[in-house]
Amino acid sequence: MSALLRAELLKLRTTRTFVALVAAALALSLLVVVLTTLIDDGFEKEEVRMLFTADFSSIFIPLLGVIGMAGEWRHRTITGTVLAAPDRLRLLSAKTLSYALAGVVLSIIVTVTIMAVGTIILSARGETTIGIGDLADQLWRNLVVSALLGALGVCIGGLVRNQVAAMVGVLVLSFVLEPAIIGLAPDVGRFGPTSGAPNGILGGEGFDGNDELLAPGIAVVVMSAWVGAFFAAAGALLQRRDLA
Amino acid sequence: MMAPMAVVEIKELHKRFGSVNAVKGLSFEVEAGRVTGFLGPNGAGKSTTLRALLGLVRPSEGTATFAGRLYHELERPSAEVGAVLEDASFHPGRTARNHLRVLAAAGEHPEGRVDEVLSTVGIADAADRRVKGYSMGMRQRLAIAAALLGDPEVLILDEPTNGLDPPGISWMRSLVRHQAANGRAVLVSSHLLAEVAQSVDDVVVISSGELRGQGTLEQVLGGDDGPATEVRVQDPDRLASALEGRGHGVERTGDDLLVLGATPEQVGAIAAEESVVVLGLKPRARSLEAAFLALTGDGA
Repeated sequence: MSALLRAELLKLRTTRTFVALVAAALALSLLVVVLTTLIDDGFEKEEVRMLFTADFSSIFIPLLGVIGMAGEWRHRTITGTVLAAPDRLRLLSAKTLSYALAGVVLSIIVTVTIMAVGTIILSARGETTIGIGDLADQLWRNLVVSALLGALGVCIGGLVRNQVAAMVGVLVLSFVLEPAIIGLAPDVGRFGPTSGAPNGILGGEGFDGNDELLAPGIAVVVMSAWVGAFFAAAGALLQRRDLA
Repeated sequence: MMAPMAVVEIKELHKRFGSVNAVKGLSFEVEAGRVTGFLGPNGAGKSTTLRALLGLVRPSEGTATFAGRLYHELERPSAEVGAVLEDASFHPGRTARNHLRVLAAAGEHPEGRVDEVLSTVGIADAADRRVKGYSMGMRQRLAIAAALLGDPEVLILDEPTNGLDPPGISWMRSLVRHQAANGRAVLVSSHLLAEVAQSVDDVVVISSGELRGQGTLEQVLGGDDGPATEVRVQDPDRLASALEGRGHGVERTGDDLLVLGATPEQVGAIAAEESVVVLGLKPRARSLEAAFLALTGDGA
C-alpha cells in the first residue's frame, strides 16, 4: 500500500496540474482576503475567523481528485496503472488517500498564507485579529474539509469515466444542486457532501443562522460517510469493469 | 527428459462481450526460453486473450494463468510479467523518466532501473522530455522500457512493432530474441506474419476467436500437406489419371497440373513411365504468408 501511495503522490508531483491548482487557489483566496481586509472596517473576531474560511482549496481539490482518477481513462493510462497494481481496491484506496493528502497540503499552503497576510493587514490597520488558538482551530477545519473533498473527487472520478462530465457534475452539485436543496429544505441540505456538511465542519454561518448547520464532529462523520459511500460504489464499478 | 515448463497457460478461454464471442475455447501454452508468435488477423481475439491473461478483462469461462497463478495473484506482478499493450498510453505532460519512476515506485523496483531500461530501449537522451513530444516509435520504446523495468521472466507484447520504422522493427526482433536467449518466455502478438516470422520459435494462430494451429513455425505454417509440384505436359489427361491412380491429388488448369503430395522427381518418374512428354516441371513453394492466410481464412 505504501508503494502505491508513493507512486500516486509521485504522479501528482510530476505533472503541472497540481502546481497550477495550488497557484489558482492561492491567488483567488488571497484576492478575497486582501480586498476584504483592506476595504472593510470594524471587524469582529467571528468575522475574522469566517474570513479565514475563504480557502479556495475546497473548490479546487475535488476537481483535482476528479482529474486524477477520470484522467486515467482520458489519457488511457488506466491499463498501465492496473497492470502495476492489479488489486483495484488497493489502487483506489491509494489514490483516494493520496488526494486526501494533497488536499491537506494544498489547504495548508493556502490557509497559512491567507492567515498570515490577512493578520498582517488587519494589524497594520489597527483592526481586530484572532489569536493562535483560533487560527489553529480554523486551520484544522479547513484541512479536514480539503482532505475529504479530495477523496470525494477521486471517488466521483471513479464513477464517471468522462473527465469533463465528472468535473461539470462536481461543479453542478456544489454550486447548483446543493444550494437549491439547502434553499428548499435546509434540514436535508445540511447533510450535503460538497456544501452542507463542509460548512458544518468549517463552522461557517448557517443557512438561516448557525443552528441549522451540523456540529463540526457530526459533519466530519457525515462527510466521511459520503466519501465511504462513493468509495464503495467506485470500487465496485472499478472491480467489475473490463479494461478492453 | 523433462517436458519444458509452460509459464503461460491458456485453458478453454472464452470471452463474450454482450452477444459477441471474442474468444471461443482457446487453449495454448507458452514455454520459457522461447519466443511464441501469437498470430491472427485484426479482430481475431488476440488482444482480448492477452488482456484476459493480464487480468484486465474477466474471462467468461476458462483460465489464463502464469505457472498456475492468475495475474492478480502474482506477488510482485511487474517483477514477474512485463507487458506492452496495443494502446500503450502515457500522461502527455509527464516525462519518460517520471513515468518510469512512478512505475518503479508502484512495483518497488530500484530507481536505478529507470536509467538502465531507458538506455536499453535507446531513449535515454529524451528521458526528460514530456511524452507529448514523442514520436509513435519513441512511445513504443517507452512502453517496452516500462515492461522491462522489473526484469520480468515473462514478456507479453501486443503488436509491439506498431509505429516502429524498419530499424526499430529490426531492433525489436533482436530484443525479443535476446530476452528468450536469457531464458525468458516471450509471447508476441501480430497480425502481420512477416514481422514476426524471423524472430519466433513457436506460433499460435487464431482466427475468429478460435485456435487454428499451434506448434513450431514449420509445423503450423510449413505445409503439413507435403510437397507440391507444378507440371506442364503434352497429354495432361493421361498423366493426371496416372497420378491419381498412385494416390496423388491433382488440380488441373488447362494443360497445367498441380500435383499435391509429390516431388518433381516423383512426377517426372511417373511421366516417364507413362511415356508422357514433359514440357515444364517445378516444385511449388507454399509461402508462409499464403499458408497463414489459408489457415486464418483471410486467403479466401
